[in-house]
Formats: sequence, structure tokens, C-alpha cells
Amino acid sequence: MSVRIFRWRAIGPLLVFLVIGGVVWWLFADRIARRSAEKIGTSIVGAKVEIQSLHIDLANGDVTIRGLTVASPHEALKNLLQADELVADLDVLPLLEKKVVIDRLAANGLRFGTARETDGRVPGDPNASVSGRVMNEARDWAQRFQVPALQLATGKIDVATLDPRQLSAIPAAHALSARADSSRKAWQTGLDTLRLGPTVDSATATLARLKTARVTDLAALADARRAIEQLKQARNRVTAYERDVTGGMAALKAGVAGLDSAKQRDYAFARGLLKLPSLDAPAIGLALFAPTAVANFERALYWTQVARAHMPPGLLPRGDDGPQRARRSGSTVRFPRERALPGFLLRDAELSVQLDPTAPQPKSYAGRLTGLTSDPALYGRPTLFAASAPAIVAGAMLDHVHATARDTAGATVQGVRLPVLQLPSLPMRLDPGQGTTQLGFTLKGDTIHARWAIRSTHVTWARDSAGPSSTVTDLLWRTLSGISDLQVDAGITGTLRAPRLVVRSNLDEAIAGRLRTMMGEEVAAAERRVRAEVDRQVDPAIAPVRARVTALQTEITARLAQERARLEKAQKDLEARLRPF
Amino acid sequence: MLTLVKLLQSLVKALHSEGTPGQLAAGIALGSILGLTPLVSLHNAVIFAAIVILNVSFPGALLGWALFVPVGFLLDPLFDHVGHVLLLHTPALTPLWTALYNMPVVPLTNFNNTVTLGSLVFSAVFFLPLLFAARWGVTRYRATIGERVRQSKWYRALTASRVYNVYRLFKPE
Repeated sequence: MSVRIFRWRAIGPLLVFLVIGGVVWWLFADRIARRSAEKIGTSIVGAKVEIQSLHIDLANGDVTIRGLTVASPHEALKNLLQADELVADLDVLPLLEKKVVIDRLAANGLRFGTARETDGRVPGDPNASVSGRVMNEARDWAQRFQVPALQLATGKIDVATLDPRQLSAIPAAHALSARADSSRKAWQTGLDTLRLGPTVDSATATLARLKTARVTDLAALADARRAIEQLKQARNRVTAYERDVTGGMAALKAGVAGLDSAKQRDYAFARGLLKLPSLDAPAIGLALFAPTAVANFERALYWTQVARAHMPPGLLPRGDDGPQRARRSGSTVRFPRERALPGFLLRDAELSVQLDPTAPQPKSYAGRLTGLTSDPALYGRPTLFAASAPAIVAGAMLDHVHATARDTAGATVQGVRLPVLQLPSLPMRLDPGQGTTQLGFTLKGDTIHARWAIRSTHVTWARDSAGPSSTVTDLLWRTLSGISDLQVDAGITGTLRAPRLVVRSNLDEAIAGRLRTMMGEEVAAAERRVRAEVDRQVDPAIAPVRARVTALQTEITARLAQERARLEKAQKDLEARLRPF
Repeated sequence: MLTLVKLLQSLVKALHSEGTPGQLAAGIALGSILGLTPLVSLHNAVIFAAIVILNVSFPGALLGWALFVPVGFLLDPLFDHVGHVLLLHTPALTPLWTALYNMPVVPLTNFNNTVTLGSLVFSAVFFLPLLFAARWGVTRYRATIGERVRQSKWYRALTASRVYNVYRLFKPE
């Protein structure tokens, strides 16, 4: 019996199946695309992306998204942005290559920083996604900045317990004492090896024989001359030896001086243990505004690194996380090719932005975004964003075309309501009211240059009634509440691995001056106390060593002088006795 | 439990279907591709169409799918590794992948996913050995205990069910 290869009667059911598939696609394509867009967006942003409706019109190549909400990955109850409507003019053919090319996008009703009712951040393993990893890296980076705390809650200065093991002068004294002992032994041994005693004894014996010798006793004369020569050599040895001893003594004296330096370091260390309020104006600026400034820089860095992760330079194959599914996700590898289309490209987007949407009459501005792509090397031009209006200037450039990525973003917004600042360690809040804020951020490769500034002339202050109250805080409140201008400038320079943060504000000097007046005497007294404590612990260790080195110097100097005198006397006696001959 | 019963049902139906051992084995081998690779992929639509149109055992394909789904899950780390090696660590293949990636339709198969490619390559390599092993196994089964099972009460109950009627639509000719 022959078996046929094809089962022709199954063609009918298969066609029915295909038709059902087509109908399902027609019915659910919008929903599937909406869910996919939400999933991809959430994965990229690192926070929930929600879309009210999405409609695909493949025949005309249009995609319309309504009610887009992108939650903030940094704040629980805030949105990054909302948009009323996005209309995209899509290239249909690249879809067959699984590439999304949008020729033109119109985004209307964009609003930033709106409130939301639920936490939009994505829970779960932060290392499971690119955005999670980038978020962790940005957070770690932000924690590199050691922001000093402003200590003025009670106005009291604590002297912490001083552990003698943490003082450097004590072990240095012990080490120097050991060195002095070993030097003493070494020098003693060295003197013995010079064999000065036998030389002097031999010269003395020769002298005795010379006293009884006749003028013709040539052997005695020769012995005497040899003895004089030996004495001269012995004196030379003593001189050379004295040079060594002098060098050793100088090292010991330097060690003694080093003990004084170590003691000074111990003073500084002990002073560092004092819980002193910051009296330097720059330190106060850091304490007050660094957390806010660093949070802004951290966000800028997060978005830059997210952009770098999804828009990498170069044309080499690269793997991204695969799609989430019941099976293992694996990695999805992209193989960009020169002169081919990028995986994603948004050629041109016109953005209609609403600023201060809660205001009675929110202002609308226009912006433009061009060249947003997943393969910048293929597109060949940087991604550009620009928005300009009377009170706002914003721009960004993501240049990932070349091997070293260059990202720049900057914005100046005037006349908007600035967020209230809670000043760390101070029981008061600062409401800048309407003012100007600036943010500039440049990341070239690994080199960062960032600046954040706020200016306001209508500052109001609110005292936190639940906060601690003291004479210092009362005085600071009286000082600060009279200030109506605010100028804060924060900057970061350096590399991502070693960034330097500087923060200055016009409040720094006012606070520093007031603190100096209030705390100066107490700080001086506390410093005296810690110096006394260091002296009490260190001096018993240092004093004996200093005395031992002094005694050793006296002893070795005397011993050398004595030996040299013996040699000189023996030589003079011999020479005097030889003179008649 | 229900899955286990269905698997058993599928196994029994397949083994006693009218198809030849070769048809049954081909069904199992094609079904194994559905089970070993991630289901929602374009290549699986082609495999499904092949199972429907080619004169192979449909229950055999269902059996192969059901049997190899858990195997696929278990071997995912291996597939991922194989896919990584092929896609990223075999420079000789990079021009091929680049060409395929920039070709219409092909990227829709997700071939550039490490698990998809690794599992597809594995199932392709595994296809012929499985085909021959399954044919030998079915032949041996039918020659030994097949008839006794066919005469049992529970087998008759199974074949009398409505599901069986649906199956008959796709039974091998």
C-alpha cells in the first residue's frame, strides 16, 4: 500500500484556521500592539507605561496612541510624562523586517511631572532588566558623594571616646624605642670591632721599650714608627665610625621629630572625632543642597545611560534581553548592517508641551525631536531635541554615532513654580516660589560635567514645628527667614569614577557666620579637651623614647671622644719619645 | 493532573492510530519541534501547517509536542548557550545572520533570539534520530502489547469519546 505525502482534505480546516487567525488579528491587533508597546516601554523606562488606546491603521500607515502615561522610575506617585495623543506616520514595509520606522510623530498635550495615584515603579529584581541595572548603577554613583551633615540639633559638641590603638604616635614611639636599643647594641659591637684597646696597649708597650732603648737600637725605632702608623689608622677608623654613628643619630633624631608629627596627626584625628558643626561655607552649601543637586544629576545620568544602553554606538552585533515569556528569555541579538534601516527610527517628532499644567492657564510650547534611533551608526546623525519659548530654552543632543558617545542636555526654565526644598538637618522648609531653574549635563565618554542652579527672589520659609528646637536653630531661623533671595549653584566635574561635587548658595555664608559666632568658643574648648586627651595618652609613650635617644647620643659621643683621646695621647707620647732619635 | 491524563490520552490514541509507524514517528518528530522551541514563533506556524498538510499522524504530533514541552523548558539553558555561541561567538556565521536580520520576513521568526535559535538547531539535529527511534518504538509496541491494550475496556471508552471524532478528521490516510 502506498502512503500519500499530502493530506489534501486538511487544506480546508487549515484555511479556516488561517481565516480565524486573521479575524483574531483584526479584532485584537490594537490590543496586542498596545500591550506590547506598554511592555516594551516599561522595560525601557524602568517604570509603568500605560496606554489608554492604540489604533493601528496599516492601510494608511498610521498609529494613534491616546492617553499615554509614563510613570517616573524615581518617584512613587509621580508621572514622568503624560500625553493626550500621539499620531505616528509609520513606514509599513520595514515592519516586514521587524523594524519600526516612524517618519513623523505628532505628540499633543505633553505634560511633565504630573501626580499619579499608584506607585508606577516596577517591582522585582532590578538586575533582571537594563533599566534596573542602570538605576542601580546611577544610585551607586550618587552614593559616592559624601555629603556632610549639618550638626546643630542641640548645639552641644560631643567628645567621642579616644581609642589609644587609633593613635599613630604610640606605635611610632614603640618602634623608635626598639630602633634606639638596636642602634645602641650595634654601635657597641662596632666599637669593639675597631680593636682600639689592643692598638693602644701595643703602643704603650712600644713606648716603654723605647724609654730603655739606645739610639742605635734600630728595631725599637722601627717598632715605634709602626705603632704610630697603627695609631693613625685606628684614628681614621674611629673617624669613619663616628660618621656612621652621626648618621644613625640623625635618623634617630628624625624619628623623634617624626613623633611630634605623629602627635600632630593624632590631634587632627581626635579633632575629627568631634561632632563639630560645619563652619565652612562650602561645607554648609553641600550639607544643605547636595542631596537635591545629586538627585537631579543622578536622574540625568540615569536617562543618559538608558539612552546609551538602547542606542549603542557601532555596528557590531549586540545582545539585549529577550522577550519576557514562560520560556527562558535568552538574548535577542541585533545585526545592524551599513546602509540598512535601523531597528527603530523616529525621524521627526513635533511635540506640544504644556508647562505648569495645574496653573489656571497652562502655557503650551512646541518642541522638536529628530533622529531618535536604536542604531545611531546607521542613521549617521545625532539625536536632537530642541524646545524654545519666551520663558524656556531646552535642548539635548545624543551623539552615539562614533565610538565615544557624547551626550549633552540643558534646560533653563523661567517663571515656573519651583519645588519646595526640605533642608537636611534644619527644621525648616524653603519654598522658592516662582523662579528660574537650570540644568546642564554633559557626558563625554566617561567624563562628566554637570551644573544645576536655581534662582528665586520670592523665597518663603516655613518652620517645621515638629523639628528639634534649640538656641542655634532659633537664631538660624531668625537669620534665614529674613532672606528672600535664593541662589544655588551645584556642579559636578571629573569622571564617573571620580566625580567632584561643589555646591554654593547665598545661604552658606549667612549660616556659617551665625554658627561661628554661636559655636566658636565651644569648638575651641572642645579642641583643647581633645588635645589634652591626646597628650595624656601619647606623652607617656613618647617621653621615655625621647630621653633614651638623648642619653644614647650623650653616651656614644662621650665614648668616642674618650677613645679618640686615648689614641691621640698614645700617638703624642710615642712621637715625643722619638723626637731625640 | 488533567495535563497528565491528556498526555496519556494522546499517547494511547497516537500509538493505536491507523497510521503507519513512519507516519506516527514523523508526527512525533515534527511535534517535538513545537515542544522544544518557543511556541509563539513564525517557524512554528510553518511546522504546524506541515503537520496539518503532510500525511503524518496528527495525534503523534500532539504527543511529540506534549512530550517535548517539559524537555524544552529543562533544556532552555543549553539552548541559550548554543544560541549564544552561534549568534555571538561564531564569526564565520555573522555575515549569514546579518543578511538574514536585514531580510524581509526572516526577522519575524525570532531567529536572532539565543533560545529560539539554539532550540531550533537542537530540534533540527534531533529530528532524524527521533524519527527513527520513534518508528522503531512504535513498531515494537504494536508487535508486542498493542493488541492487548486495544482490547481493554478503558481504551474502548477513550475511543468512543467525542474528542476521538475530532481526531478522526486528521487521522493519516
